[in-house]
Amino acid sequence: MTDAADVLRRWSWSALEMGLLGMSAALRTTQDGIGALTGGVSPRLTGPPVERAPDLDRGTSELVNRVSRVAMYAPVDGGGRAAIVSAAMESARNLLAAVSTNPRRVATLPIQLPLSFATLGLQEALRLVYGLQILGGSAPSFIAEIAEVFLDGPVYLQLEYMTQLRRLQAHVRAAPEDGAAWHELGRYCMKCGMYHDAAAALTVAAGFPALRASSLSQRAVANYRAARYADAVRDAVDSLTLEPHQPRAHYWLWLAAGHLGGYPPTVPPALRVEMAAGRGETALRYDSVASEVGLDKTGEGRGIAVFDYDGDGHLDVLVAASGGCSLFHNNGDGTFTDRSVGSGIDTCVSSFAVTVGDYDGDGKPDVFITRQGFLEGASVLYRNNGDGTFTDVTAAAGLSGWMSTFCANWADYDCDGHLDLFVGSNLNGLFGRKVPDRLFRNNGDGTFTDVTAAAGILTPWSTIGAAWGDFDNDGYPDLFLSSAFGRSQLFHNNGDGTFTNVSAEAGIDAPCFGSVAFWCDYDDDGWLDLVQYVWCEHEDMLQSLREGAGPADRALRIFHNNRNGTFTNVSADLGVTECWGSMSGNAADLDNDGYVDLVLGNGGPQVATCGPPLVLQFDGRRFRNVTFTAGLPRFGKSHGATIADLAGDGRLHILLASGGFYPAEPMPLEVYRPRARLGNYLNLRLTGVRSNRDAIGARVRLVAGGRTQHRLVSGGSGFGSLPLEQHFGVGAATSLEAVEIDWPSRARQRIVNPPVNATIGVVEGVEGFTVIRRADDHLG
Amino acid sequence: MVSYFPRVGPTQSIGDVMPDVQLPLVAGGGVTLSGRLRERRGAVVLFWSAGCAHCVRYDGYLNSFEQRHPDIALIAVAARRTETIDQIRLTVAERGLDFPLAYGGDAGTATAWIAPQTPRAYLVDRDRALVYRGAIDNYKYETDPAHAAYLEPALNDFRHGRPLARPDTPSFGCAIESVYYLLPKITR
Repeated sequence: MTDAADVLRRWSWSALEMGLLGMSAALRTTQDGIGALTGGVSPRLTGPPVERAPDLDRGTSELVNRVSRVAMYAPVDGGGRAAIVSAAMESARNLLAAVSTNPRRVATLPIQLPLSFATLGLQEALRLVYGLQILGGSAPSFIAEIAEVFLDGPVYLQLEYMTQLRRLQAHVRAAPEDGAAWHELGRYCMKCGMYHDAAAALTVAAGFPALRASSLSQRAVANYRAARYADAVRDAVDSLTLEPHQPRAHYWLWLAAGHLGGYPPTVPPALRVEMAAGRGETALRYDSVASEVGLDKTGEGRGIAVFDYDGDGHLDVLVAASGGCSLFHNNGDGTFTDRSVGSGIDTCVSSFAVTVGDYDGDGKPDVFITRQGFLEGASVLYRNNGDGTFTDVTAAAGLSGWMSTFCANWADYDCDGHLDLFVGSNLNGLFGRKVPDRLFRNNGDGTFTDVTAAAGILTPWSTIGAAWGDFDNDGYPDLFLSSAFGRSQLFHNNGDGTFTNVSAEAGIDAPCFGSVAFWCDYDDDGWLDLVQYVWCEHEDMLQSLREGAGPADRALRIFHNNRNGTFTNVSADLGVTECWGSMSGNAADLDNDGYVDLVLGNGGPQVATCGPPLVLQFDGRRFRNVTFTAGLPRFGKSHGATIADLAGDGRLHILLASGGFYPAEPMPLEVYRPRARLGNYLNLRLTGVRSNRDAIGARVRLVAGGRTQHRLVSGGSGFGSLPLEQHFGVGAATSLEAVEIDWPSRARQRIVNPPVNATIGVVEGVEGFTVIRRADDHLG
Repeated sequence: MVSYFPRVGPTQSIGDVMPDVQLPLVAGGGVTLSGRLRERRGAVVLFWSAGCAHCVRYDGYLNSFEQRHPDIALIAVAARRTETIDQIRLTVAERGLDFPLAYGGDAGTATAWIAPQTPRAYLVDRDRALVYRGAIDNYKYETDPAHAAYLEPALNDFRHGRPLARPDTPSFGCAIESVYYLLPKITR
């Protein structure tokens, strides 16, 4: 009976979704038809619309966004209605300016305007339906939190937040009896990093009985952030005494108590929650070494890439951040020098994801950086000049665009030896339109052509993560798109420049809040599996921390490749039952035992939603969470997470570009280095000749110790690109049988008896290998 | 239109002679870095913004700076494009700021000094040679065990003629120049 009800429920949601999609498609077709008749085809934006709305759809989106934002901010001082009307009028003028130059568009405005609002409404309805499918009854609170962040976004981005702060301060001075305003002021100060002011405002708010528990809970966060841990403990206890069911207050109580050496005697036993997760046994032990090695750059980190930008053989680090990018040169001794200034990349503000690829095949890795992610921005292609500087060649390459770009990934999808580029388009704010994702084909002359429509990579859903991988082993990379508020999509590469959407038959599109994703042959069977990280409600993460398991079906997804075009989510079978609000992550063999482990960068945009970065260690059968045993922190907000052998000694460092959405959280880059190398290893660097020079898309097998391990050379997966260097752990093995490489050109190459504990280079079509570096010692 | 993507800039190294600063003061009159250096051992040029939440945390530090460092001049440069001198004056009055604050609203000085963010500090010697660049601290409260001061140790080393332990530290904060500042304002 339950199964039948579940099937009926799923069917109902699907029917509703299909209906909305159908209506949306019909209205869009009508819009396009009218647009074609009136000559009002929407232009593809190549830059910011500073002057006016570029088209009607963007105009209606801006109107709704602005009115919503003003409505959220205005009530506090009673000027709400006038402010909303004023904002609507201004947006309407902006909107009309989009069509005023075309008399035929003006004439059809009475038809087009309702159509535009209707398509926007349907888009939002689809997102809502999607959220309801995943969260059910708790969807409204989750969506309210997301809405607040999206509405806040431009206010912070455009530096209007101090104006808002002044308004709030003026209001509470004029109306000190308004407890809600004091509460809001406290939250607002927290967003701005003014934790002492926040605590003071929340103290006043806590004097209002109806707001006391909530205000004390918030004040615990403020005091924690101000390093007043005893005060934070007291606030959390007082709040929980009033309202015991507050998982977030329990979390901050646990965090604050951790700084005091454990729960103080004043904390009642009933409130002393211990966290079950992260205690798995492991020999891994990490030290935080960012400051020691010169990588402690503070700066709202987002994406991160590890690559050898100057060709000296050592892996360098690039961190994307709000205030500009940082380029760190590896000195070769495990330390880094900041070479940002003058590099040309340092001035790339509001940067987000980073992906590295030698698009022009000159042997110098180039960089593509997306901007903003959740809101619109202009991505940049930087060509590596080879002298430590980079030149912005976006326009010359034909890659200019203004869209909400969360991710970008290099791949040679047509296997012509030139790296192509996929650029994913995200939600674009609360009421922003989905701008189509873009696939750019590399013309081989430094320019690109937008082939999205011809390739057939079209999806109505927001794209937050993308991963290229040849799941059916036909030699052409396929494309997986992870969506946060929509169905994830899998596009099969037909090998003729076109793609076929195979999402439903592949079985990968069940609703979830998708985040970054990557292909990874976790079971080494020669067929790429798919790992998709997911977001979740913060309460799910807290439940996972407490209990070592979260709500069913909300954990990250590991899709096992069934070798017949279908996939099965085997997360639970592999021991992954915890839910984490993951923003980033990657896979690598951290303990050199021959099995890939997972790293998750967790957190959320709200100041109070933090989470530990995680290590899920794999032993070939199950993953176990060893985070806290390994010495990783309890608290974080990790965007770009990557894993790299920074010192070239076989120890994989975990790098986390950390930082929050609001100005309150300019967190430093975190680097965790293993105390010991737990097994032998081989690092492999490939140079393509007929294939693209980075060998992105190559499949590599290492035969050693009676096993074969499989790797894919990836051109990026979300915030943090793994280095192109491939790392194999081999445990106690002291000799390696062979490395086999399937190049994107379809050439196959075999390297016999490569050295153990070394980094070697292999050139496509050239026999043998070059030893780049050897580790000093051997285990086993 | 304002350049959204500043070009590949000249490099900037510790020891480089920095450009002079010649700007109007928000309080009236004008200021030059070379002038302020005449009777001082060095100077700190701090890029600052009225609308930057990170800068707020340093109001007290900056107000007392010259009292604590009488041999070091301080020039804070209000550097953000689109921030008017009237807005800055309002902020000065509201927050009780009394450190020397110059108006560099066209971001020209910030560009010349290759300063992408606020707050970002530069310490120069009497000859305007760059001694230190970076943040004031790691944005932790002084009461936080994880707090690390950056500028104060640099000043201390500089005053005692010692090589700086950390002449180049991280930076963070709000971008001085961004296309988002040019887009229509969202709220009232």
